[in-house]
Amino acid sequence: MANGFSGYESKTVVVLGIGNVLFGDDGFGPEVIEFLQEKYTVPENVVLINAGCSARSILFDILLSEKKPEKIIIIDAFDIGLKPGKIFEINIDEIPENKIDDFSMHQIPTSNLLKELRDASKIEIKIISCQPENIPETVSMGLSGKISNAIPAVCRLVMKEIKKQPVK
Amino acid sequence: MGKKIVIQPVTRLEGHGKVTILLDDSGNVEDTMVHVVELRGFEKFCIGRPVEELPRIVTSICGVCPWSHHLASAKACDAVFGAQIPSAGRKLRELANSIAYTEEHILHFYFLAGADYVMGPDADYSVRNVIGIAGKVPDIAKKVVRNRHLGARMLEILTGKSIHPVAAVPGGFSKALLSEERDQLLEMAKEILEFAKFSIDFAKTKIFPDYLDAVKTIGVIKTGFLGTVTKDGTLDLYDGVLRMMQADGSFEDFTYEQYTDYIEEHVEPWTYLKFPYMKKAGKLSMDLENPVGVYRTNTLARLNVCEKIRTPLAQKEFEEYRSKFGRPVQLTLLYNWARLIELLYNAEYAVQLLQDPEITSTDIRIAVTPRAARGIGCVEAPRGTLIHDYETDENGMVTNINLIVGTTHNNAPINMSVKQAAKTLIKDGKYDQGILNRVEMAIRAYDPCLSCATHNLDGTIALKVDIVKASSGEILQTYKN
Repeated sequence: MANGFSGYESKTVVVLGIGNVLFGDDGFGPEVIEFLQEKYTVPENVVLINAGCSARSILFDILLSEKKPEKIIIIDAFDIGLKPGKIFEINIDEIPENKIDDFSMHQIPTSNLLKELRDASKIEIKIISCQPENIPETVSMGLSGKISNAIPAVCRLVMKEIKKQPVK
Repeated sequence: MGKKIVIQPVTRLEGHGKVTILLDDSGNVEDTMVHVVELRGFEKFCIGRPVEELPRIVTSICGVCPWSHHLASAKACDAVFGAQIPSAGRKLRELANSIAYTEEHILHFYFLAGADYVMGPDADYSVRNVIGIAGKVPDIAKKVVRNRHLGARMLEILTGKSIHPVAAVPGGFSKALLSEERDQLLEMAKEILEFAKFSIDFAKTKIFPDYLDAVKTIGVIKTGFLGTVTKDGTLDLYDGVLRMMQADGSFEDFTYEQYTDYIEEHVEPWTYLKFPYMKKAGKLSMDLENPVGVYRTNTLARLNVCEKIRTPLAQKEFEEYRSKFGRPVQLTLLYNWARLIELLYNAEYAVQLLQDPEITSTDIRIAVTPRAARGIGCVEAPRGTLIHDYETDENGMVTNINLIVGTTHNNAPINMSVKQAAKTLIKDGKYDQGILNRVEMAIRAYDPCLSCATHNLDGTIALKVDIVKASSGEILQTYKN
């Protein structure tokens, strides 16, 4: 199952799309995973997971598993005040403190935990993000146009990252 | 002059909880407030949609218990359509529910509440978390992960998906279980059962004895309880009647359709989240000495309201628990003990259901027809009684919807437990990180849904504690983890 947990413990690359599809552009991560599943074929060592709001338990389990992936790619909309639709990568060490907060919007780890995963587990962690236009306070489904338009480019970035990983 | 202590997560607003402790001039607790932000706008969003879409949509409400929402929603749809689902369809739903429960209860016990117990509530933040547990008891950590994997894989085999389930549909279940799948699942369920047995033994011998004093003092309040039982009083997490128990142990049973006769919702100016209370009490008072109308849900409540458990090992544990602590149990930290008994029950029940020949029947679903109706579906979610109440027009489009989730039922008691804990632990302005951790423990025992938003992945609540001089607003001290 591409959409579940199954088999991720035997994969070297785990791609997690994180966010809540009920809240506008917060659904970016899950939408990227759906696009990847539809348009691309990923190598056997890679698992694509639409984690929705359930990233916490997946990362919990990865952290404690004996066999860990070598790389985790996190895809998540994340407001750092850029132009809506702007794609960027975040280095865990460079997240300004006042922005760390944004990571917890939907159960995504704080950067400390990401550091923990990286340092304690020697897992390479990439965070690929897109500046959202609108994350509403009340339930409203659907990405705004600029964010939706960014999906193909983000998918290309993800595929590039995936290919950097030697297939085992 | 009074001081204000704020315990809040280092996180943004959505879905988060924060605790405010107000100290009076002599440094003692005057009042506390637990802020939980609820999901807003969901009801409006659902209106006008085909009701059969809701079991799929509601799984996005919560990343922690999607199965509970999925099943409550499917049951509300059954009721709207007037569908009596086939027995095998019901058993498959119950099986999925039991497996999901084992995953949840294992996670909560070992990593959310467990960090406090295994490492000790006064342990430094840097070790009082899941990584600390992995370092201290690595073999157990491995078992935890293996069993959670097993649960997730079982749900995939059973239903196709574990994160965003779609298998329960109005009128039944969409995927029949093949006999070879059943065989595979049975082996996995037996392994989880072994782990459940280990867990309760481990907790009873290695964990709880050290905390019996804390159990008797932290967060203890006197309330009523709400849970689901069958007509003969057996614990049931999927279906039955609702039982409202008073603090004195007397109780009344009522059907789902009667819930608005028994539950009323109170509003406080400082939070969006409502405070449900017993309607028959006439009002809600969260006064610690004389609470009125307050009831609790979740594991402690369920084991208080039920007479028995249908599986033998869990029944044995239940008897021991009841003879030790009585009925109703008011000790808040015993939520964790009750949770382990439920873990055992669910693991045993999954095995029982898989051994039932009917589980591989293909008669699992009936056709449904839209109509104008109201339907109420309830299940016991890990965090408490979950109520989905839908109304549709003649085309099956949603015209009205109301949800009451487990954490909402527990809103008043969580606030009371925090106040009680803070009053017990903070005297004459003296407190330290350990004391604040114990306030957190009182909250965490309820396994509130705010935990999904505010817990770090390492199992702690991300905290920022500001001690503020109320008169000047000056921050006297900040603790941060």
